[in-house]
Amino acid sequence: MSDVADRIRKVTVETLKVDPGRITDDSRFVEDLGAESIQSVELVAAFEEEFDIEMDEEAALGVKTFGTAVEFISAMLSA
Amino acid sequence: MGIIDGFIKKVSGRNLKVVLPEGSDERIILAARRIKDENIAEPIVLGKPEKIAEAIEKAGVNLDGITVINPKESDKLAEYTQKYIGNRDDISEGIAKRMVSKPLFYAGMMVKCGDADTMIAGAASATASVIQAGVLAVGMAEGINTPSSFFLMVIPEYLGETDKPYIFADCAVNINPNATELADIALASASSAKGLLTDEPKVAMLSFSTKGSASHADVDKVVEALEIAKGKNPTLAIDGEFQADSAIVPAVAAKKVKGESTVAGYANVLIFPDLDCGNVAYKLTQRLAKADAIGPFLQGFATPISDLSRGASVEDIVNTTAITLAQL
Repeated sequence: MSDVADRIRKVTVETLKVDPGRITDDSRFVEDLGAESIQSVELVAAFEEEFDIEMDEEAALGVKTFGTAVEFISAMLSA
Repeated sequence: MGIIDGFIKKVSGRNLKVVLPEGSDERIILAARRIKDENIAEPIVLGKPEKIAEAIEKAGVNLDGITVINPKESDKLAEYTQKYIGNRDDISEGIAKRMVSKPLFYAGMMVKCGDADTMIAGAASATASVIQAGVLAVGMAEGINTPSSFFLMVIPEYLGETDKPYIFADCAVNINPNATELADIALASASSAKGLLTDEPKVAMLSFSTKGSASHADVDKVVEALEIAKGKNPTLAIDGEFQADSAIVPAVAAKKVKGESTVAGYANVLIFPDLDCGNVAYKLTQRLAKADAIGPFLQGFATPISDLSRGASVEDIVNTTAITLAQL
């Protein structure tokens, strides 16, 4: 779990150019971490690239916080 | 002939290409078949082969003679990936390829690269996703940074005219646009009107004030938007701020609007100051005036594209295709 969280943190830092110290489980990508709502879809593509997974559109729209991204991707990887 | 029949006639036989990225939905299969058979346009259907096969089975029609593309296996993927990256240095090739492999974005890149004339999506996707594909893949129209929407309102009878068309905007997307965004909505609406209305666009910036009759920050916003829009397009017939009656009733305009205005009283493009006004206005016009409310359609992109409602019927998809292509 922590490895997944670390990798999601790394991708988030690289994509959104934010300080890793600002990221908590409750951090919202758009409102708190400065993702333009239009570009949040590219953040999802960055997660897909990191983990070599495919997130469907509905799921991607539902991933709004760092914590939900960790939960969702961990579940996908263990499925 | 109804107004939609007119648009179908306008686009038919021109071999315009419409890409439909939601090929796993049976309504899309049925619409593609009709669009092809009725010679409205050349449909291109996107999706995974097994999903399209399932949708074909449910639809009970075939896609013979219709181009079907699986974005992931397309030989255009490398080209679209590079075009998507463009001059950006903040996206890797791997992520860009992921993006353009998604049907909505692949469709957007087809439009951007001239491989399709428009994309119609939204039957199986959220409006936000269609707008994202519009902004990131198709790109915005020159000078416009705000995606927005419009309705084509057709009033059965108004001041002696029958089936009088108006453009109403923005009634569906931007909740509380600032002056810059409102100017973008006005300019995009003028462009939409050019494609769809017989008359030249006359754009009215609506308010609760007519030419300074009231003072308020909300009025200032509309006035500022007007000035921005005029600055960006000096030849456009655009004026304000107007109350609705000053915009569309010549007799009221003659009394309330001092000075020359080619728009006052004769506006056919109505720009509402926010979504509260726009949404309420279109619904009241639809119910009280028995107007046809056709839309909403997206606008502001480099090429017109459209979003469908989740509940869109096959006929809605076919008509939306015709109306969107009619703007070209």
